[in-house]
Amino acid sequence: MRQTRGLSAWFVTGCSVLCLAVYGLTANAADGPPFAIPPEAQRVLRTYCFSCHEKGAAEGRVRLDQLQRLTLKPRLDLLNKVQQQLLDRLMPPLEADPAPQAARNLLADWVAAELDKHHASWLKDKRRQPAFGNYVDHEQLFSGEHKHLKAFTYDRRWLISEYIFDARFNRLLNHKPYQTIDGKRRFVIGDNNRRVNLTNPFLLPTHTGVRYYANTTLNGGHLLTMITNAKEAATYMVYLTKRDQRYAPAIQDIMGREWEHERILASRESFLNRFIVRVLRDLYQDQHQALLPKFVPVVVQPTVSTSGKPIKKSPFHAAQPGSAELVLIFHSMRRHEQDGDTDEQLIAKCEREWFNFGHNPRTIHRRVVFLQNYMPEWRDVIVRHRYARKHKRPIYRPPNTAEMKTITGAILRHRKNGDRYNDIISKCMAEWKSGFTRERKAAGPPSTALVSELVQQLFVKVYERPPTTEESQQYTSLTRSYIEGLGNLQAIEKLIQTLMLRSEFMYRQEFGQGTMDVHGRRKLAPRDASYAIAYALTDSSPDQQLVEAAQQGRLSTRADYKREVLRLLQNREQYYVIDEAVQRIQLTASITNTPIRKLRFFREFFGYPKLLPVFKDNKRFGGNYDRAKGRLVGEADRLVDHILQKDRNVFEELLTTENFYVYHSGDNRAMAAAAERIRKIYEHFKDLDWRDFVAEDLAEHKDFIAEVRMRGMGRNPQSDLRTFKTVMTSFTSRFDKGQTAAAPFDSFPAHGKSNADTRTGLQLRSPEVAKFFNIRLDNWNYPTTQPARVAHRKGMLTHPAWLIAHAQNTKTDPVRRGKWVREKLLAGTVPDLPITVDAVIPENHHQTLRTRLVGVTEQQECWKCHVRMNPLGYTFEMYDDFGRFRAEESLEHPDNLVKKGPDKAAPHVDLRDTYKTLPVNAKGHLSGTGDKNLDGDVENAIDLIERLAKSRRVRQSIIRYTFRYFMGRNEMLSDSQTLIDAEQAYVNSGGSFDAVILSLLTSDSFMYRKPIENAL
Amino acid sequence: MTTRRDFLKTSALGAGAAALTPALGPLFAAAANRNTPRRFVFIRKSNGIRPHEIALPSFSTQEKALDDKKEPLQVDLHQHELPGWLSGLDRHKSQMTILQGLSTKMSENGHWSYSSVMGAYKSGRNSLSGIKRATIDFELARLFPSPFGHVELSLTGNYSSFRSGIVAGYSAPAPHQRNYCYADPQTAYDELFKSVTNPGAVDSDNAMLKFLQNEEAFKSAVLTGPEKLKLSNHVKSIESIRERNRKVGKMSGAIAKHLPEIDAVHADGGANASTPEKQAAFTEILIAALMTGLTNVVTYTIDELSTPIRGVPGNEGDQISIHELGHNGGYSGVPAEKIREKLRVGHIDQVTRIVERLKAEPEGNGTMFDNTMLLYFPENGEGHHSWGTEAPFVIMAGDNCKLDIAGRYIRLPYHATPGHKTLGNWYTTLLNAHGNPVKHYGDLDLEMSRKKLDQMGAIDQFLG
Repeated sequence: MRQTRGLSAWFVTGCSVLCLAVYGLTANAADGPPFAIPPEAQRVLRTYCFSCHEKGAAEGRVRLDQLQRLTLKPRLDLLNKVQQQLLDRLMPPLEADPAPQAARNLLADWVAAELDKHHASWLKDKRRQPAFGNYVDHEQLFSGEHKHLKAFTYDRRWLISEYIFDARFNRLLNHKPYQTIDGKRRFVIGDNNRRVNLTNPFLLPTHTGVRYYANTTLNGGHLLTMITNAKEAATYMVYLTKRDQRYAPAIQDIMGREWEHERILASRESFLNRFIVRVLRDLYQDQHQALLPKFVPVVVQPTVSTSGKPIKKSPFHAAQPGSAELVLIFHSMRRHEQDGDTDEQLIAKCEREWFNFGHNPRTIHRRVVFLQNYMPEWRDVIVRHRYARKHKRPIYRPPNTAEMKTITGAILRHRKNGDRYNDIISKCMAEWKSGFTRERKAAGPPSTALVSELVQQLFVKVYERPPTTEESQQYTSLTRSYIEGLGNLQAIEKLIQTLMLRSEFMYRQEFGQGTMDVHGRRKLAPRDASYAIAYALTDSSPDQQLVEAAQQGRLSTRADYKREVLRLLQNREQYYVIDEAVQRIQLTASITNTPIRKLRFFREFFGYPKLLPVFKDNKRFGGNYDRAKGRLVGEADRLVDHILQKDRNVFEELLTTENFYVYHSGDNRAMAAAAERIRKIYEHFKDLDWRDFVAEDLAEHKDFIAEVRMRGMGRNPQSDLRTFKTVMTSFTSRFDKGQTAAAPFDSFPAHGKSNADTRTGLQLRSPEVAKFFNIRLDNWNYPTTQPARVAHRKGMLTHPAWLIAHAQNTKTDPVRRGKWVREKLLAGTVPDLPITVDAVIPENHHQTLRTRLVGVTEQQECWKCHVRMNPLGYTFEMYDDFGRFRAEESLEHPDNLVKKGPDKAAPHVDLRDTYKTLPVNAKGHLSGTGDKNLDGDVENAIDLIERLAKSRRVRQSIIRYTFRYFMGRNEMLSDSQTLIDAEQAYVNSGGSFDAVILSLLTSDSFMYRKPIENAL
Repeated sequence: MTTRRDFLKTSALGAGAAALTPALGPLFAAAANRNTPRRFVFIRKSNGIRPHEIALPSFSTQEKALDDKKEPLQVDLHQHELPGWLSGLDRHKSQMTILQGLSTKMSENGHWSYSSVMGAYKSGRNSLSGIKRATIDFELARLFPSPFGHVELSLTGNYSSFRSGIVAGYSAPAPHQRNYCYADPQTAYDELFKSVTNPGAVDSDNAMLKFLQNEEAFKSAVLTGPEKLKLSNHVKSIESIRERNRKVGKMSGAIAKHLPEIDAVHADGGANASTPEKQAAFTEILIAALMTGLTNVVTYTIDELSTPIRGVPGNEGDQISIHELGHNGGYSGVPAEKIREKLRVGHIDQVTRIVERLKAEPEGNGTMFDNTMLLYFPENGEGHHSWGTEAPFVIMAGDNCKLDIAGRYIRLPYHATPGHKTLGNWYTTLLNAHGNPVKHYGDLDLEMSRKKLDQMGAIDQFLG
């Protein structure tokens, strides 16, 4: 039994301000309206509080019987703390005479009203924060007593998320990435490998739960980054118009003349770069040679070994000067190659050409050295890479007569004796440039109408709406001032930058419009509604149908919303990258055609991607953890996606499924074929004396090897033999215990052909992922159809990804795991860690972690909070910090070492050291479901999860988080009807998550807006 | 006294600072130390530094034996010769430290470490989500604010050509944030010294910001509550940037005085500039950025595996791949080892130039170098395919250096043995010495953890 005196100690740690308060007595007139405690509140205080907090019993040095004598500030401080304690349900203590809910409510209401009088509530702001969502009373939300309140959301701007940032810029910059998925080329959203270097400043916090809230405001960091982004993007947008004038015709109209001049200049320069020798010969005939500069060859030091011993020569690929240079060298060689010439003669001719052309002497030097050192390899590359076919010799085609006359005229004016070709070209270009500049200057600036058109088009481009009349005038004027100071090109870029730095670009707009109802609410403006719906389910702007619905007045009724939400939910044509970080690790395919924000909810809710930055000791894992973790997250995503696609009993399935993906691409047929292929190889050789094969023996099977495309074969007989034996050793280990199918992992790392592919056609890597599930790679009856049953697992909370994400680097974390269950599944609250507490579990390598944790958290002053977490978290001690099932806990300490494992071995070998162990105690206690049939002692995590999955409170808790995710805010009592409806939709639909989303996105909470109030 | 908790409120290590982004964080953060600014130059090199390459050639037999066996060792540099490639720093031995034995296994090794070597975390190759915290250079920049806060220069490429312009950098101002960097000297010059070299561009930026500030202020005037805060923060942010621009504008005298000269070969990205020329030009910009007071912290990636190497003395005509040098490929008869050494000599030429130029610039009762610390180190550890058990550092620190390390060759106990120090310990030492009382910066070494070896906190012996 816990002692109530421990609670007072909490006050000592948590309420140090109060200690001062009791000595700051005597109110005065400056403290505002007279302070009086209503008799009902006094009664509650007397009954439940004074016994510990009055003269002679000031637990934690806090006295509540002195409230009326305190000056304003200490009184408000004290009341704020009281409010926090009430909300945290820490006071009055449950172990003492428990206060009825009505008494708690009465006291809480009075304290809140008193603080509101002075606008002094610390909780006011906190309540808007994600971490405080559960502070709204759960029973009141779902009891129905508040159903009469009309739901709404305040008018708001909502800072764009990291995902919307990418989608916005991808749209603006025409970035349309494709991937081959299941053999088909598909447009994929979320692959942000843009040509333009942008920094995403709108990164979301990394906590589990709901990460994207409408509370965040833009700060200086965001803006500074956006200034650089806007510059980069503006330059690229102008480039896009140059490439295709349809991108922004007004830019083309303003820049048209300049770009035409640039085109002409580029055409002349290109012509001269290719054919200047021909032109000069035609122009100067016999005098041409005489006008050439005096040749000065580069001095190349002979290659001399400086070490006196053989030196490894760098291979061709590490010494070649780059593809553009290679093509140039190739053309020069083709021009000068003559039968009978030596390489030296050819190089000399090329060098002279480059010299005459005026190429940089260093560049010529590098080319010469390259040709001298790598001519045989280079000639081989020319043949193998079919240079002659790919890089045909340019055919001389002079421009039209007038143009040719311009060119030759300029040459004749500028060529001087000894000029190199690029000197002549430069002088001609300078003359033409200057002429064009004069011409443009004479033409004057663009007209006001054209500038206005530019503003119009860029507004549509950037904001997907035309400017208002006022904006049009204002921005036209601004742009004209830019043009005056900067010239056309920079002015256009500056205008784009200006638009991107406005709040409208960085905030989503959600405002009510139209007639206000009797409750002071207005419906979301149709355009804003189209964005709200689009951003609820995707990261992209509204699609064409949504835009049209908004424009045509078909986005105002609940039926309209329902139509559009259902359409988007059912769309399976669009593919998304789930997580670029996962995709980057070991080529893991991270793709889905589920609307991405639907899947992302559960990623964030469970928080399993948080394992990605968790790095662990490979030795303790017994294999390559770093490689396997990307696959682990990718396969957790696949499992969630699989359950979402079925859309039946989604919450229960997520919590209790016994079927998992383990080293599987998601394509059952492909995996069956891959497993069958290696079985075929094994069967073919298993009864032969393959271990003693020599190269000739293997050669007898070459047709079979070719047919099954064995990896790594076909180099040379000895190498093939080694590879073959490696493969067969590995395959045999997978089949020699009677397995019917084996995991198709590669027996050795290599490029090229793989034993299995991802859905995006890449090597299926990281079979070590099986080790998280206690599966031995050399004794695994591989299920080719997945998800498949895995022993000792039940749902996402037993998925190693979740377990690792909620563990520490080298140990488990029952507190974090328990906190997650309390907050996410039981809608419970856990007070912040008091600042004076240094949360460290003492080291003792003769005890389990649980025993050590008990020692520091079950002390009186700690248990008040830890009782909400530890009994839930202890149950997960049946898994270690890698998420592996265990009955014994390894006491990892050098003193407890029993046997050292190997440091390096094949993937199927366990590299772990063996330590002494102690039995795991995974017993725990479930409280807070509100269902006495479920609450109580539990045997382990499996038992806990089975009970949780049956709990209505758990279902409601997930719905509360779903609400926050789609609304971007915490729920209020006025959202009661919305939440009740969402729960009902889930139940009535047989557990469809789509039904929950549909219910939320057609609720008053989503559709109705109220103007912001001063009181907020 | 600043407590750890007080400090975290202003440090990038604190959660509240997570939203501050490239280069601006230090500007907006409170300074923990308002005395004479300290300056830090981080020079990252690729391809490792092999521990034997930096060992002192004049070691006694006993010292050499200890060094070879990776056992703790400390000797006075004045009693010894420096390795040949470090001889450019001979006359600065008093301010020099060769630090051996730090491990970097908590960052990435192999070919590349990306941002991780500056942040003591695994970056998941170069993934954004892998950036776990503000890197050490940004943490130090936050302690000594300046108009630019932090400047990153980077000489990298795609093996055959150099990168140019403003590109993604390797430092991180906050978790999941990648800094940008200047990839060629001309771009760095144009951007850093714009207030003097291109005042028209600065004016147009300011005009744009003023317009935006007025517009957003007008919109926010009609709002209340949290919605007003959103727009008023926008307005304040614009004002902060304008204020920085004003400050930089006022520095135009100092900028003009120290404006470096950049050769025409660097124009338009400098495709024809040799690698040593680019390095020299970057050095000039780095020195000027410090001398003008635009920044107190510069991170300079002097080369990376993909940086094309051209114009190295003795191999002028070769297009050299640093990656291939790591695989011992020679060029024009010169073995890889020699070329690697020549590259290091080129690096040390730059280090020497920085040291000597700062020593020649008066500051207070001494010189700018007195308040400067320069760290030259391999980004990926002890070799081409590094394991991270060692990462030798060369440190040049002025007389006001807060660490007790000068003039010594120090070899720390080997990785995963008692007393061993990690990169995290080293960075913690830097932070603690300069006013950030963080208990431990960086991730822990997993093998040290497994062996239950103490690895938290600063290296006490260096704190004096």
